[in-house]
Amino acid sequence: MVYTTRQIGAKNTLDYKVFIEEDGKPISAFHDIPLYADKENNIFNMIVEIPRWTNAKLEINKEQTLNPIVQDTKKGKLRFVRNCFPHHGYIHNYGALPQTWEDPNEAHPETKAVGDDDPIDVLEIGEAIAYTGEVKQVKALGVMALLDEGETDWKVIAIDVRDPLAPKMNDIEDVEKYFPGLLKATNEWFRIYKIPDGKPENQFAFSGEAKNKKYTLDIIKETHESWKKLIEGKSVDDKGISLASTTLKDVPTFSASVAESIPAAAAQDDAPIDKSIDKWFFISGSA
Amino acid sequence: MLRITPRCVTRLNFNKTFASQSSISGFKTINQGSKYSQNFKQYLCMPNGDAGSFFHDVPLGLTPEDATVNMVVEIPRWSNAKFEISKELKLNPITQDTKKGKLRFVNNIFPFKGYMHNYGAIPQTWEDPTTEEFQGTGLKGDNDPLDCCEIGSAVLNIGEIKRVKILGSLGLIDDGELDWKVIAIDINDPLAGELQNLTDVEKHMPTLLHHTREWFRNYKVPQGKPRNEFAFNEEYLDVAKTLSVIQKCNKSWEKLLSGKDLKTFDSLPTTQRSSKNIRISTTSEIDSPLPSETKIWHYV
Repeated sequence: MVYTTRQIGAKNTLDYKVFIEEDGKPISAFHDIPLYADKENNIFNMIVEIPRWTNAKLEINKEQTLNPIVQDTKKGKLRFVRNCFPHHGYIHNYGALPQTWEDPNEAHPETKAVGDDDPIDVLEIGEAIAYTGEVKQVKALGVMALLDEGETDWKVIAIDVRDPLAPKMNDIEDVEKYFPGLLKATNEWFRIYKIPDGKPENQFAFSGEAKNKKYTLDIIKETHESWKKLIEGKSVDDKGISLASTTLKDVPTFSASVAESIPAAAAQDDAPIDKSIDKWFFISGSA
Repeated sequence: MLRITPRCVTRLNFNKTFASQSSISGFKTINQGSKYSQNFKQYLCMPNGDAGSFFHDVPLGLTPEDATVNMVVEIPRWSNAKFEISKELKLNPITQDTKKGKLRFVNNIFPFKGYMHNYGAIPQTWEDPTTEEFQGTGLKGDNDPLDCCEIGSAVLNIGEIKRVKILGSLGLIDDGELDWKVIAIDINDPLAGELQNLTDVEKHMPTLLHHTREWFRNYKVPQGKPRNEFAFNEEYLDVAKTLSVIQKCNKSWEKLLSGKDLKTFDSLPTTQRSSKNIRISTTSEIDSPLPSETKIWHYV
């Protein structure tokens, strides 16, 4: 399947939106892209939200029709992650697996914490810098269980199947072998990234260890099941998520015509990012 | 091609791209060519409007009492292009270094993206390649102005001239030459008042000095070069010793300009300084694309 993007507005503004298109028609990034690109070989579709080394907190919007990628806001202001030394912006291509949901109505038996009400997050570690709205095919290698402000927030570690190293990457131990220091940096990054905003350090379940591939595939399956319940209207509480789909004919919220309500492409040049975002924060006890 | 004297550029307030305001007392810059191409040159424009040399015409401005000095910014933090003050070209514009005819970009050494400091040079200094720079090291200078790593929170611009506070220095041995890295902070940085020495740096920017040393140790490894070494048991020199390094390199620069007592050396820097009779054309173009090598990480 070839996916394209439809951009509206300028990056780094409140107007910015990126819709995913299939054959030029807008679809939902959350619901309409199949989770599995190749089920037999466990190759997943991933939607890239944030390119590596950038700061804007872009994410699939749950409330808006067809779930475009927009920049998150906090008290009406655009959200940027702060640079925590030695890191610069996000250290992975960051995104989500479509057709998954971390159910906020259920506590996970091992982490004992409820889901964070988002599609499951993916950290893509390949060498190329991805772009917002890119749909990548990835191999899942492991998973870490971040406890972000008391919620379970799984971070799947994956690599683009086209990456030169992808054929050698088959399980979590290959990450340390070919990307020495990356798992440690990932652990540190997620523990401290909200400290500059005055929040406490995050914790990881499982003593911060990344679980292996088998465990990861099970977690992805669980979140896929939660999403199925959500899209079929069988969830205890759908939390107001827009469930409109332009391709899933069997779900109650299917509507091919909703695509026509989406504005035409109207991309503008990137807006400048405030210079204050350049600041490097030094967090004691890290690095 | 449009030819215009820098004096006119300033008077006419020609175009911000061509003559942009720098941060110290009226110095401006004049751009030629496309950034990230071989024809890119950025010249200094003196406060009086004449073209000048970043190397020879920006005053050293060393004040030992408060350990401040002037710095010319060559490379903004987190960027890869190896911009530097040209030794060969008349008036020493900032150009991108080349190696075997190819533009030079530093690799991204995990976990860093590009340079980890605002990197630049201290004007009116020269690391003498013809004599042993420091007794006991057996090492000669690298024929460049002293390098300076600015550690403040802002990302600075190419060609900016900053007043910085000296905090220490590291004696890198790069390809067998002594190549000091002076550690300094913009005096206008919010943290500058808190930082007087390397102990203060460690307190407010934990592990920065460690990572700085590792960065310089490893930054050429992806090019197939060995790890770099450091003089003085890899230890940083304090402010007082760094001041004497700067003073010594300023003396070497005076010797270079006078041409007296200079041993023969086949690639001494040009020493022409600002004058009213030099015409600089202003031909700014859009940036060239960055090569893919700047977009990948190397795990060393």
